[in-house]
Amino acid sequence: MVGLSLGEKHFIKGGIDQNIRSDGRKRDYYRPIFVKTGVIPQANGSARVRMGATEVIASVKAELGKPSALHPDKGKVAIFVDCSAVAEPTFEGRGAEELSAELSVALERCLLGGTSGAGAGIDLTSLIVAEGKICWDLYIDSLVISSDGNLLDALGASIKAALANTAIPKVNISAAASADEQPEVDISDEEFLQFDTSAVPVIITLTQVGRHYIVDATSEEEPHMSSAVSISVNRKGHVCGLTKRGGEGLDPSVVSDMISVAQHLSELLMSRLDSEISAAEAEIGDDEES
Amino acid sequence: MEFVNPEGLRLDGRRPMEMRQLRAEIGAVARADGSAVFEMGNTKVIAAVYGPREVQNKSQQSNDQALVRCEYTMANFSTGDRKRKPKGDRRSTEISLVIRQTMEACILTHLMPRSQIDIYVQVLQADGGTRSACINAATLALADAGIPMRDLVTSCSAGYLNSTPLLDLNYLEDSAGGADVTVGFLPKLDRVTLLQMDAKLPVDIVENVMQLAIEGCKAIATYIREVLLENTKQLEYRRGL
Repeated sequence: MVGLSLGEKHFIKGGIDQNIRSDGRKRDYYRPIFVKTGVIPQANGSARVRMGATEVIASVKAELGKPSALHPDKGKVAIFVDCSAVAEPTFEGRGAEELSAELSVALERCLLGGTSGAGAGIDLTSLIVAEGKICWDLYIDSLVISSDGNLLDALGASIKAALANTAIPKVNISAAASADEQPEVDISDEEFLQFDTSAVPVIITLTQVGRHYIVDATSEEEPHMSSAVSISVNRKGHVCGLTKRGGEGLDPSVVSDMISVAQHLSELLMSRLDSEISAAEAEIGDDEES
Repeated sequence: MEFVNPEGLRLDGRRPMEMRQLRAEIGAVARADGSAVFEMGNTKVIAAVYGPREVQNKSQQSNDQALVRCEYTMANFSTGDRKRKPKGDRRSTEISLVIRQTMEACILTHLMPRSQIDIYVQVLQADGGTRSACINAATLALADAGIPMRDLVTSCSAGYLNSTPLLDLNYLEDSAGGADVTVGFLPKLDRVTLLQMDAKLPVDIVENVMQLAIEGCKAIATYIREVLLENTKQLEYRRGL
């Protein structure tokens, strides 16, 4: 990407100070969001989300596995992010390794709760088939196709949409199995359970530029940030995860203020995403019927 | 297993000489100089071209022509089973090389010395013929980027199962163990730039199957030309001409 001149940098910073950004948005506005679900037919669930020019695809694949010995009543979820070279030439080869790892861990922190699985946005107990023996392993793979800033929010939204689209097949277990044996499973081809996403949080990233914070930064605004805080908030307004990036220190009162701003914005983003997701799901329903 | 039933229909209902449905979209990646999405049936790939731009690695710079680089990757979710390592495995390296050589032969590199053209191809869904879909997508992306080329490069695969030459194999037909011939073709110049085959074929059948693949390439070239014309009309319309 071509570097920005000093004049351009002043323009962007000045705009943010005056609450008019380069594309005309106010500091707390998101770019237009488009959601399309069911884009990867061979996955259990998938979604493609576009926020402005940032575009990501998320897919959810469910496989049967064994629950960990520490948590025999919980299934497992793993999140992987891959940044495609298509989005940015610097992502070629191993260039995106660090960024992908950072995004994967940030997403896991926001959506999956602590190491014990407590407080997860995704209900892991709903993934159990036979306690201690068989559970569903969900593999969530995200791919960044086009990068124009605010990747974490877009990835969070795409995972939420993909989970809403996810249908896990019903499993019938043969009853007559002793305590040590692996029970036989019969995976249904016809009956599916829609995954419950009411508790999945959304991620809001607030980027501080100068004295103000903006939401949904584009790639020309991101280099000016002094620090950024990504907060995931669920439907009830509870904070599910928090990540601070950037070297500059933040006053604790600023952090509390950012959290309350994020909580307020999360309601708007959540309702917007919900309506986009249900519109996308309805579109699939129409296609299937016609 | 029967790949062509007695009525002459294949597993997905196509006739032996019928290609899968093609769909192309130009300009999918906003930040790339040129980009395209190309679908052949269930195989879906996205290609992005960055360039001509300054060479990143000065030791590779050439004073009389442009440097063409290519990277082919498959998404984790592109195949039925999850792929754990999307880049760097041998198959991806080989296909990157194949695409680079095919496109390099076609780009007028002498017009852009001391510069670099990067072609990135990402497979979103793999159902056989990914190599061909990638070359077709790369052609469209290069055209979208305005990079001068000798001709459009189109590619198609063909095989031979149940004693019938089949055009445009999908994944099931490809893994059946029969031959898989991939052809890269320059339609206007009427030249073959890429030819790869695996498995065995009787010598007198090879010519037939290759010819069938070339016919497929010509059909794809017609479609690509239509897509490019339509795209140009849209651009003219948006400029108010």
